[in-house]
Amino acid sequence: MTSIEHVPTICPYCGCGCGIYLVVKDGELVGMEPWKGHPVCEGKNCQKGRNAHACSTSDQRLVRPLVKRDGVFAETSWDAALSVIADKLGSTASDEVGFINSAKCTNEDLYVIQKFVRVVKKTNNMDNASRFCHSTSVPALLSTVGSGVMPTSTISIEQADCIFVAGPNLQETYPIIARRIIRAKRKGAKVIVADPRRTITARNLADLYLQIYPATDNALVNGMMKLILDEGLEDKGFIEERTKGFEDLKSYLQSLDLREIERITEIPLDVIKEAALMYGKAEKACILYNAGIAQHGAGIENIRALVDLALMTGNYGRPGTGVNPLRGHANGEGFGDMGPLPVFYPGFQKVNEETARRFEDLWGVKDLPSTPGMTYMDMVGKCRVLYIVGANPMSAAPDTTSVRQALKSKDFLVVQDIFMTETAKMADIVLPAATSVEKDGTMTGVDRRVQRLYKAVAPPGDARPDWDIFCELGKRMGFEAAFGFQSPADIFEEIRKCVPQYKGITYERLKNPSGIQWPCPTEDHPGTEVMFVGKFPTADGLAQFQVAEYTPPLEVPDEEYPYIFTNGRVIFHFHSGTMTRRTGRLNNELPHGFAEINPEDAQALSIQDGDQVRLTSRRGTIETVARVTEDIRKGLIFVPWHFSECAPNVLTGPCAGPPSKMPEFKFCAVKVEKVS
Amino acid sequence: MKGDMYLAWSTDEQIRSKGASGGAVTALLKFALERKIVDAVLAVRKRDGNRYDGVVSLISNPDEVITCAGTLHVAPVNVAKEIREYLNGAQDLKVAVTCKPCDCRAIIELAKRRQINTENLLLIGLNCTGTLMPGVARRMISEAYQVNPEDVVGEELDSKKLVITLADGSKKERDLKELEEQGYGRRENCRRCAFNIPRMADLACGKWGTKGQQATFIEVCSEKGSNLMEEALEAGALHAEPPDQEALKEREQEDQEAVELAQTWQEKDLDVLRWLPYEDRLQYWLRYLDRCIKCFGCRDVCPICYCQDCYLEPSRDLVQAGETPPHIMFPLIRLAHVADSCVNCGQCQDVCPMEIPLTRLYQMVNRELTGVFDYVPGMDIADDPPLTTITEEEAHIENVDAFKSDAASR
Repeated sequence: MTSIEHVPTICPYCGCGCGIYLVVKDGELVGMEPWKGHPVCEGKNCQKGRNAHACSTSDQRLVRPLVKRDGVFAETSWDAALSVIADKLGSTASDEVGFINSAKCTNEDLYVIQKFVRVVKKTNNMDNASRFCHSTSVPALLSTVGSGVMPTSTISIEQADCIFVAGPNLQETYPIIARRIIRAKRKGAKVIVADPRRTITARNLADLYLQIYPATDNALVNGMMKLILDEGLEDKGFIEERTKGFEDLKSYLQSLDLREIERITEIPLDVIKEAALMYGKAEKACILYNAGIAQHGAGIENIRALVDLALMTGNYGRPGTGVNPLRGHANGEGFGDMGPLPVFYPGFQKVNEETARRFEDLWGVKDLPSTPGMTYMDMVGKCRVLYIVGANPMSAAPDTTSVRQALKSKDFLVVQDIFMTETAKMADIVLPAATSVEKDGTMTGVDRRVQRLYKAVAPPGDARPDWDIFCELGKRMGFEAAFGFQSPADIFEEIRKCVPQYKGITYERLKNPSGIQWPCPTEDHPGTEVMFVGKFPTADGLAQFQVAEYTPPLEVPDEEYPYIFTNGRVIFHFHSGTMTRRTGRLNNELPHGFAEINPEDAQALSIQDGDQVRLTSRRGTIETVARVTEDIRKGLIFVPWHFSECAPNVLTGPCAGPPSKMPEFKFCAVKVEKVS
Repeated sequence: MKGDMYLAWSTDEQIRSKGASGGAVTALLKFALERKIVDAVLAVRKRDGNRYDGVVSLISNPDEVITCAGTLHVAPVNVAKEIREYLNGAQDLKVAVTCKPCDCRAIIELAKRRQINTENLLLIGLNCTGTLMPGVARRMISEAYQVNPEDVVGEELDSKKLVITLADGSKKERDLKELEEQGYGRRENCRRCAFNIPRMADLACGKWGTKGQQATFIEVCSEKGSNLMEEALEAGALHAEPPDQEALKEREQEDQEAVELAQTWQEKDLDVLRWLPYEDRLQYWLRYLDRCIKCFGCRDVCPICYCQDCYLEPSRDLVQAGETPPHIMFPLIRLAHVADSCVNCGQCQDVCPMEIPLTRLYQMVNRELTGVFDYVPGMDIADDPPLTTITEEEAHIENVDAFKSDAASR
C-alpha cells in the first residue's frame, strides 16, 4: 500500500530559516509542499526553498569514499578511507593540522567536529566561512553592544516604521525578509536602501534610494548622525541611561564637514538629510546589513557607525529595532554557537585556560587547547594537513590562484562533501556526506531561532552524516567515550550542557513549528525574541559608542586598474553554486555568470550587451559576458560569485589586518577589456 | 438517489464524540475502507496534534480514519494537486477524498485534462465558508480573542461569526465582519467565494440544516454517493432521518447569506478595479507584478496547471531566463492559461513570497469570462474549458478558422 508522508524541515539555503514540507512517497523523496503553519515563512518560499530537496536526488551525488591514486579517484571502503585519515591525522603535529567546516552542517555535526578537533587533535585550528561574512561584525558588535547576534526577529521587522537596508539586495538574497518589509510598508513604514546598484530591492522597496559610492558607508552614516544631532532628534534618555562614550562621538561628529561627506559618498547632502530625518524621526527603526557592509577593510568601522546611529536614536531593545547582521547560511547563527572556531569554545566561550579546563571537566578529557587556533586563510596557507567539511575555498576564499597553489601543496587533503566540488577535486580522500534532508538535527538561523530538521530519506549509497563520520574517527583514534553518541538527539543533550544559551531547549520542545530563539535558560522559558532589553551584555550593561572614522578601501582604482570591482549573489543561485548549479530549475534560469557594467562605461570601452569581456586585477583574470545596465553606478563592475569559471575571487585579494583579517571582497581595482 | 437528503450521524460512540456534527463523514470514510469500496482515504490530519498544521494524509487502515475526525478551518491544504502529483492522479488507486468545494472543483478541472481519474475517487464534499491561514489565525486568536492559540480545540465559522472552543469547553465568538475589517479572518479568496455547498462532489456534507443537532446534513449528488449512503445505512454504520422543511430552509438560508457575503467582498475587491481608468488599472497590477522574483510558486501549486513542459520554463525561450522581475509575459501567460478554469482555491496567493494578490487578478478575469462563455469551472467533467476548446458553432464561423490551409502555410 502506498504511503505518503509530509516531513517538516528547514530550507538549507540562506539564513531566513523557512520551513518546508518534504513529501516522501514509499521512502522516496518526491517533492516539496509549502508549510503554511511555519511562523517564519507562512508557506511562502523563494525558488531555492521550493527546490531545496532537488540537489539531494541529483545523480552527481558522492556515494562512496574516494581515494586518489596517481591523480585519479577510485572508490574505496569507509574502513580503508578512515584508517588512512586516522593514521595521517595521528602522525601529524597538532599545529600542522587544520579543519574547515561549514554552516551547511547541523549544530550536531558542528558540535562533534569541534569536539573532535579539540579532544583528539588538541588544537583550535578550525574555522569556517563566517570568517568571510562576519569577522568584522563580531569585533564591531562586541565592542559596542556586547554581542554579535541579530537583536530582533525577522518576523518583528514587520513592526518597524523605518527600515534602513544598508546594502543587502534582500529581494534576491533574503526574499522572506523582504516580504516582512513589504508588509511593514503596507502599514506605513518608510524604507531607505543604500546600494551602489539599483537592485530589484531598491526599485521595489525603497522610499529613498541612495546610490552610494562603494565603501563609503561609514561616511554616510556619520553624516546622518551629524544631521540627526543638528535636528535634535537624538534620544537623550536612552543615551543617558543605556550608553557611554557619547561625548567623544559627538565631538568627532562636530568636527566633520558635511560637504566632504557629500563629496566622498557622492550622495547629495539634501538626500543624506532626508535619510537622516526618515531614520531619526521613526519610533522604531531597524537596520539590516550583510556582506556589503561587513566585507570591507573598514568593515568594523562601517558596523560601528551603524550601531552608533541606532544607539543615538534609542533603537535597541524593542521588537523591530536594532542593527541586524544577516546570515548567508541556513545554520548561520549555529555555526558560531557550536564553537567550531579558532577563538571560541561552544557558546562563545573564549579560548583560554579557564575555558579549556571547564571543557575538560565537561567532556572528561585532558589537555584541551587553550590558545587561539589559526583562521581560515592561515590554515589554507600554512597547515600541512587540511580536512575540509562542506566548504569550497576554491570559490569562496579570496585570490583563487593562491588558494589553488596552497591546496596543491598540502601533504594530505581530505574533503567531505555532497558533491565533487572544485575543492574536492584537489583532495587525496573524498568522503560522501549526507544532506540536510537525510539526517536529524537542528539549525539556528539568522534570528537565533533553533529549529529541527527531520530525516526524510536515507542518504544515497554509502554517504553518511558528518557527525557520524567524526564520531567514528574519534573512536578509531582512541576516544571511545567522548564520541559514543548514538544519535543527533544524544549530541543535542550534550550541547545543552555546554552551551548556556541552549540550556532550556529540547528536541521535544522543538516539535513546535516556531522553534525556540536563544537565549533559553530553562525548560519553561519561552525563548528570547528581542535581545538587549533593559541592558546590554557588556561588563557594565551599557552600550559603548565608538568613533568610526572613514578610511578609503585597501586597493583603490588607478590608471592601470581604473574600475571598481564588486560581487554578490543572484536569486537563482547560492554561494559557490555547488547545490544550485546541480538543480535544473535554478541552473536553467542562469547557467552562467555575467558582468554588470554601466552604459557609459560600456560605450567608452566599445562593449555591447552580451559581449565577452575580460576583467583583470593585480591577482588574476576572468572572462564573462557583459550585461549593460543603468542599474549599476558608472565606474563599478558587478559579477555574481556562483560560477567557478568566472569566479570573482580570482580578482579579489587584499585583506584587513587583525582582528578581523577580513578580505575586502566587495572592493578591488580592475581593468576591463572587450574580448575580440 | 441523487437529490436525496439526510440528517445523519455515526452509530459509533467514539466517532460521534471525536468527529464534528455527529461524525457522519468519519463513519462514511471508515465504512468505505472496511468494505473495500476504496483502497485508501485521503483526509486532512493535524500533524503532531497541532491544529494550525494540517497535512493531507493517506490512510488505509480503517481504525486510523478517526485521526482525521473533526473540522479544521486553519488548514488550507492543496488536495487536488497532491492527488495528481503524489497519487498518480488516482489512476491506479481507489480513494475516498474529503474535499472543500474548491478542492472538488480543482479535481474536476484536472479530470477534464485527464490528470485525475475521478472514476477511482469518491468525493466526500464538505460545506465551506472559508479557511484561514495559520499565521493569521494565530495572530487573530491571541490579539482579537486574547486567547493562547494553543488552547483552542475547535472553530466554527459561518457568514456571521467565528466561534472558537477552548480546551475547558468554553466558547468565545467574534463578529466575522469586524474581524475581517481588522485584517484577520479568512483568506482573501475564501471571502469572495460563493461556493459553499459542494454539490459537484458525490456527497455534500455539512452542519447547515441540522438545527443544532449532533448530526450532519448530507445531500446526495451522484449515483456513487447514493450507493455509499445506502450501503452505510443498511450496514448500520450511520443512522439517518430525513430533514424536515425547517431544516431545508435553514440550510438554504445559511447558504444564501454566505453567498451574499461573498458578493459583498467581490464588489469590494473586484468591482472597484473596474472603475479605475485604464492607465491606473495597469499601474495597479504592475506595482504588484514588478515585485515578482520568479519563484514559480504560483505555477507549482496551481492545481489546474499540469503541463510537463511549461511555457514559462527557460527552455521554452518565451520568457527571458534569469531575470527578476520576469518579463510581464510571465504572469500574463499564466493568467491566459488558467483564467477560464480558475477555481479560486487561493493556493497561488498563499505561497507568493512577494504578497502579490494573484487570486484577485485571476478571479476578476474569471468572472468576466464566466459571463462571456456561460461557463463555470469545476462543476461538471462534461463541460470543456472554453479557451481550449472549440464548439461546433464556433468551428463554422467564417474567417476565423485557424486551421484553414492558407493560415497554416503562413
